[in-house]
Amino acid sequence: MNGLIRQLSDIVNNYGLPQDFVVQASFYVLAGLACAFAFGVVAMRNIFHCAVSLALCLFCVAGVYLFLNAEFLAIAQVIIYVGAIVTLFLFAIMLTANIKDRSIRQANRQVLVSACVTAAILSFFIYIITGNAWKTPAPGAAVLAGPGLDDIGRALMSAYALPFEFISLILLAALVGAIVIGKVKK
Amino acid sequence: MIPQSHFLILGAVLFATGLYGALTRRTAIGILMSIELILNAANINLITFNKFLGGPDSLGQVFALFVMAIAAASAVIGLVLVIAVYRNMKTIFTENMNIMKW
Repeated sequence: MNGLIRQLSDIVNNYGLPQDFVVQASFYVLAGLACAFAFGVVAMRNIFHCAVSLALCLFCVAGVYLFLNAEFLAIAQVIIYVGAIVTLFLFAIMLTANIKDRSIRQANRQVLVSACVTAAILSFFIYIITGNAWKTPAPGAAVLAGPGLDDIGRALMSAYALPFEFISLILLAALVGAIVIGKVKK
Repeated sequence: MIPQSHFLILGAVLFATGLYGALTRRTAIGILMSIELILNAANINLITFNKFLGGPDSLGQVFALFVMAIAAASAVIGLVLVIAVYRNMKTIFTENMNIMKW
């Protein structure tokens, strides 16, 4: 249990509600909202609404990260995904698709087959997940603390410096490539 | 205390939803949005295993950050390709983008 969630539940605790109940209930509400918005991303007809639904889904996933001792990643998720990527999607939609036309069929003819395949894969995953006895950490406070922001920064600069540089190279190549591909040729 | 399996099930549901979207969407932008959902499911799994198995080690969170960077790069390249294709062929549907098909 991390700092932000604990503080939040302390505030709630002053109003007489049990702490664990509030933490669990907020997790399940966030997870349910994330699944509902994710379903909206793949099922809605207007693709502009899909992008807005994607933003809300990613926001809920950022909330879920708070329950996993990952405050920095939650903030990074909001900044990178909701702030940058979804904005990019909205721009691309406005530059290409005719969003007012609601009569466009958004799904192809393989809907039934895809639904069956996806349901099979999902049920297989859930069967594996629920059937496995996952190793749980010993009930010690030190194990549950999780890495802090300083641990992540130190790991990025020491142990994982090579993948970090490689990622920056990929990002640079993506930036240059995007400019080259998107340039209007005269 | 929320059990580990519930986080993993959330990741699996997000992955399945993204897979369904990537299989059924007709527009390239819709497929890209579904792929973002799949990458988010991978991130949830990475951070979950980092919390429940890693303890103070930060490997899972570091690689979740890398996944975010890859997702940003792929979204940029995918969207700029969509815009370039739209500019040249005036279509947003993937079944019409078949000039490279023999």
